[in-house]
Amino acid sequence: MDAQAQEIRSDTLRRWGLALPAVTIITLFSILPLVVVVIYSFLAPGDFGGVRWQLSVEGWFSVLFERDIFDDTVTLSDAHLTILGRSVALSLATTVITLILGVPTAWFIATRPARQRAFWLFLITIPFWTNLLVRTIAVQEMIRSEGVFNNLFLSVGLIDAPIQMMFTNFAVLVGMAYVFLPLMVLPVYAAIEKFDFRLAEASYDLYASRLYCLRKVILPLVRPGIIAGSILVFVPSLGAYVTPRIMGGGKSMMLGNLIEMQFGQGRNWPLGAALSLTLTALVLVALVWYTRLTAGKRRG
Amino acid sequence: MLDLRNLTKRFGKGDSAVTALHEVSFSITEGEFFTLLGPSGCGKTTLLRLIAGFEPPTSGALVLDGRDIAHTPPNRRPVNTVFQNYALFPHLTVAENVGFALGAQGRPKVEIAETVTRMLDLVQLSHLAQRKSGELSGGQQQRVALARALAPKPRILLLDEPLSALDMKLRKEMQVELKRLQQETGLTFIFVTHDQEEALTMSDRIAVMGGGRIQQIASPRELYDQPANRFVAGFIGETNFLAATCAAGRLILPQAATTLPVAHADGPVTLMVRPEHVVLAGAQPDALTLTAQVDRLVYFGTDTHVHLHLADGCTLVARVQNGLRGGLPCRQGETIPVSLPGDALHLLPQEAG
Repeated sequence: MDAQAQEIRSDTLRRWGLALPAVTIITLFSILPLVVVVIYSFLAPGDFGGVRWQLSVEGWFSVLFERDIFDDTVTLSDAHLTILGRSVALSLATTVITLILGVPTAWFIATRPARQRAFWLFLITIPFWTNLLVRTIAVQEMIRSEGVFNNLFLSVGLIDAPIQMMFTNFAVLVGMAYVFLPLMVLPVYAAIEKFDFRLAEASYDLYASRLYCLRKVILPLVRPGIIAGSILVFVPSLGAYVTPRIMGGGKSMMLGNLIEMQFGQGRNWPLGAALSLTLTALVLVALVWYTRLTAGKRRG
Repeated sequence: MLDLRNLTKRFGKGDSAVTALHEVSFSITEGEFFTLLGPSGCGKTTLLRLIAGFEPPTSGALVLDGRDIAHTPPNRRPVNTVFQNYALFPHLTVAENVGFALGAQGRPKVEIAETVTRMLDLVQLSHLAQRKSGELSGGQQQRVALARALAPKPRILLLDEPLSALDMKLRKEMQVELKRLQQETGLTFIFVTHDQEEALTMSDRIAVMGGGRIQQIASPRELYDQPANRFVAGFIGETNFLAATCAAGRLILPQAATTLPVAHADGPVTLMVRPEHVVLAGAQPDALTLTAQVDRLVYFGTDTHVHLHLADGCTLVARVQNGLRGGLPCRQGETIPVSLPGDALHLLPQEAG
């Protein structure tokens, strides 16, 4: 009995020993930073950045509300609400645009002969190897006042004066849709590529019209890819920083820029931490929705 | 009911074009179990895809109930297919799979539910109605595929080697099951297979295909007893072929000691005799008698195959039923007399090669 108990104990120890590197890395790089952010969000801001070790909910309070400096009346913070709303709206719009552009693209690639697919996928992945900043500035070059489009439209007499496209929601949207498009195409492509086209043939044999086949056979079977692509686009869109910074400037700010501001010129670290956690919460909501969708599918 | 008129199908263009079907013509009557039999690459699957509508013919007509449907898309033909790989919809339940065609036709829900129940009863799968198709065994998937194709009451049911993925025992069961279903529903079945035994046991008529052409269309018995050519004779059952000559009303086999009267034009012929008709004894009336040496005996349970060779090196196989009184009439290495009874011989025109 004793020998057996000892064996179990040494086995347990060995398992813990083997798990230690993974546990250490997760604690050090994932849990610990998050704990720091949570703690900072409940402290008071320091005068020159940083925090004062004093419990305060002011950071969380400022996410949605603002206090008048003169009479201390509390009102909803219009600026923050606008930025929050804009972040969610632009991220949703980016997801929809990449869906509209990405699904047909993925379909096109997946239905090419096997040898050609690698080439098309290569074209889709090239932008991944290019610096994000460079890519975004390239888009800026296209739509700025003296950019390619405006010059083209002016020269053919379509417009009399350059259209102001930069530093608007439109500019941010164009930039994000361009940057995140491959993240939609790749998972959707993977799903369509796995689709057995003999099933489409079978449905066609069983009196299905093209539309019925698309609705009842193809879409349900490539749906996991579409959902995965949507999440892959929506989540980083929500926290996007570089693209809204370059394309939207100070006028079309998103959550990422607002957070950066709190740690920089705003010198309000607790608010920045609280905003970061708000962003994390929004992402979590999206992920929960995603697992619900896929789990519900399996129960079907 | 279904007339195929000079159906030709070519794939590719110009010099690289491959002709998969050459001028195929035949008719299928209502309620028939019709089988397309042939080795792989003979064009039987192409022909099936033409009838289903997945491929248009290069030329020719496909007339169903007096209407040419050669260029009607598959979703507007009253013809359904049981696919070789079943092609069940993995995201749908068994019941949803079976009801798919009716849903696509926009039939009312009540009617769909009724038909699905009836079809699942027919294939004895009512207890699995709510399962996903991926959770079924091969035999069960096969039955779902059948029920799915039968549900919209097609004029013709096409079956593309539906039993090839099943193991031996299950295949035999499904053969009986398919025949029962066909008789119960009174539907016209067009069945594609490369398995001659499957074709012989199930079919009313069989079309043997080879090289994109119909070689012979006949009942199983007729195909076996009176094959039209060497290809059919060799593909259906096991056969001995011997080169012989007809001269002045006599059939002359060079190796034989006797000749037989024959009603055949003079000239070289191929003599065909089934192994079970070869008699391992001499001096039979109305038979070609020869001597042969026993190479080896192969035991098959119910019978034994006796491999023989003649003086000039030609080989001959005889099948002897086991369990007869007196046991086997020969041993390996022996030289024995062999008779080929006249009424078991079948003459085929001699072909090049």
